[in-house]
Amino acid sequence: MGTSKNAGKTVVTAALARALGDAGTSFGLCSIGRDGEAFDALEGGSKPRFALRAGASIATAATLVPRSPAVEIYAATAERSALGPIVLARVRAPGHFEIAGPPSAEALRRVAHALGETTEFTLVDGAVDRLAALRGEDAIVVAVGAHAAPTLEHAVDDVTALVRRLQLPLVDDDDRDAVRVGGALTAAMAAEFVRAGEKRAVVVADATHVAFGGKTFLTLASRLDLRCERALHPIACTVAPFSWARAFEPRAFARAVAERTRLPVFDVYAGTVAEARAV
Amino acid sequence: MIAPWSAETARACGIDWLLREIAPVGGLGRSARKRERPFAPGDEAAAVAMLARVDALARSAGGSRLGTLRAAIAAVPDPSAALTRARGGDVLADVDFFELGRFLDALGTVVAEARGDAFAAIEIPQPDAALADALAPGRADGRSFYVADAFDAALATARGESAARRAAFDSARSRLVARARDAGIGDVRDGEFVLMRDTAPVPLPPEIRVVREAPTYVLCELALDTTALDALEALENADAAVAEAEEDVRKRLSRATADAAPELERSCALLGELDVLVARAAFAARHECVVPELATNEHLELRDARFPPLAEALVARGRAYVPISLSLDGVAVVTGPNMGGKTAALRTLGFAAACVTLGVPVPASFARVPLVDEIAWLGIGAAGPDAEDAPLLSAFGAEVVALRAFLEHPARRALVLADEFARTTSPSEGRALLVALLEALRVRGALGLAATHLAGVAKAANVAHFAIGRLSALPPADGALPLGPALERIAAAMDYALVRVDEAGAGESGAIALAGALGLDAALVARAAEVLRSPENREP
Repeated sequence: MGTSKNAGKTVVTAALARALGDAGTSFGLCSIGRDGEAFDALEGGSKPRFALRAGASIATAATLVPRSPAVEIYAATAERSALGPIVLARVRAPGHFEIAGPPSAEALRRVAHALGETTEFTLVDGAVDRLAALRGEDAIVVAVGAHAAPTLEHAVDDVTALVRRLQLPLVDDDDRDAVRVGGALTAAMAAEFVRAGEKRAVVVADATHVAFGGKTFLTLASRLDLRCERALHPIACTVAPFSWARAFEPRAFARAVAERTRLPVFDVYAGTVAEARAV
Repeated sequence: MIAPWSAETARACGIDWLLREIAPVGGLGRSARKRERPFAPGDEAAAVAMLARVDALARSAGGSRLGTLRAAIAAVPDPSAALTRARGGDVLADVDFFELGRFLDALGTVVAEARGDAFAAIEIPQPDAALADALAPGRADGRSFYVADAFDAALATARGESAARRAAFDSARSRLVARARDAGIGDVRDGEFVLMRDTAPVPLPPEIRVVREAPTYVLCELALDTTALDALEALENADAAVAEAEEDVRKRLSRATADAAPELERSCALLGELDVLVARAAFAARHECVVPELATNEHLELRDARFPPLAEALVARGRAYVPISLSLDGVAVVTGPNMGGKTAALRTLGFAAACVTLGVPVPASFARVPLVDEIAWLGIGAAGPDAEDAPLLSAFGAEVVALRAFLEHPARRALVLADEFARTTSPSEGRALLVALLEALRVRGALGLAATHLAGVAKAANVAHFAIGRLSALPPADGALPLGPALERIAAAMDYALVRVDEAGAGESGAIALAGALGLDAALVARAAEVLRSPENREP
């Protein structure tokens, strides 16, 4: 998942697919339903296309199944994307493939589950508002790019805030005093807790129920004992250090993200890995 | 389907519930259902034939087998769109062939489930063997679809050529990557990649093309030489030949689909009809229904008739349901205490009439029901004015508007169910209006039953009078009971039998006793009983 659009998710997903292919691990690839799908279909805007080799499985809209190279369609699903019903297919010859997924997290979970029935590994090209599709043991890779933020510091704040949200600690089962937030925790609600000097744990269902990010999250979260009922597992970050709009120095960007998030950071453009220095 | 009832009538008489119960499970069945029209007066022969088919299937196949068949029907995809496009000359896509394969497989399962004497009188659709054979090379595992080499030797050749050209290009590219590595470029990636200036060789080797420069790094990509570019062009040409050969296979399969389309479309129609029929039969088996005799006059007779939505709700709560029996000639009145079953009796009549209209046997031990071209529910819960006018009218006004709407389009034969019509005006004027309504219905030759608490209506309108629900003395309760036990206590004290009576048989409504049983404040209930007994409360 990315901190924003153009965070380099597609490049990262392609790199993961290539690595899985090199390792001989069978995998399936699916995606969230993108808001821009209808726009893309009507306006001809670019959609992510994944270079895949024979053996990979995909879940995509029936209308996006390529005529050539032909793929082996092996299952229909009950789910629909904005571009029609979703089918499962196996790549039989190398090529570029468009992936479109269902619009809801529940449906995405079912599609990912269906893919996982015949593969060892499932890649989900996802988004923060579809985290509900994940199971507890699923791993999350967070992508951040130069496109979304005006400065390197801003981009690092954004990705750090997102990782912190994803890393919210679990509430203790026996914590009877915890303040449980029924729906989403907004910035205004969090600020009110801070103003009131709330010392008890403030509990949300999971990271998707925190409705704010960036520096605001970092500031407010540092003054509250924020916890969740369903933990998620971010395992790494990736950086896309340049876009058509701006570029950040690649090593400095990767290093800064690693230092702040304390996660390993991969630059799939430079082929480098940055790790946080031991504290 | 144009329904001979309003949305409010459908809700009041459980027709919505019935329609859900007999809903087809497949897309083809839903299409078939939309093409149907309800049976109306004059359709008796067709209705009798349908009811007999449904009943025969329900009795011979049984609920369990019908359930299995319904599951098989539900799994059949609708190939209609692909068939239409194939007949129109389109070249279908692989997803279409996959779906056609699924259709043929699923149809085969339906055929297997619909074998035997129970289905001997029903035309069962058959899978198209020619199309199945045409698709077979692409369905090696019997489930998936792929434009496989087995379809065409030319396709196999083209794919072999493409693989060879790809190997040649990969080899040419690998040579360039190796040269770049020898020049100090450690990791050459597909597409664009970054080299850091402080570790990259200076100058960069000719195999590396710079896309963008920055102070500390360069964005670059592999530069293909003439050999690699020639290999790439050859690969693209080979891939184009593969695409052409794949499309040739699709053209042949599309023609085979077009040839099979008339028979497949007939299969779709038969499958849709089977879905509709099986849904009705499953309902009839589940609710122990009976084929009704179709009356051709204003006569309706039910024995041990059930209103399944209510019966199921009561059974789910562990309570007994009491079926009703009734013989109605023309128009009649039903009276009885509150919660005695008047409304349920009206609903049962409406439900039975709707069953026959839809070709569904009736949940009863015997039924004689005429076909009607309108079922109208008046009074409580009746169709009021349009939503935008609704706030302008009182409850009484809304009832009158609903009645006016009914009277403005006379049906050839209508069943009118009036639930406490005009109950919200003064008893004397309400009674007068109800009597006039019943007389009007009688003149129009309608079937009608009116539930009311008003005394003397049947006699004044010169129509039959039924009573339902006789309330015995309620056993004493230890304080206010929760709703569930309170309802059980009332049910235990109520006789729900419906009987024909003379005017003297009309009893009290029992409203005050029931209010007490439902937990209304005891002092308020006592005061109401006191007022009831007082001389001032007697009507002048």
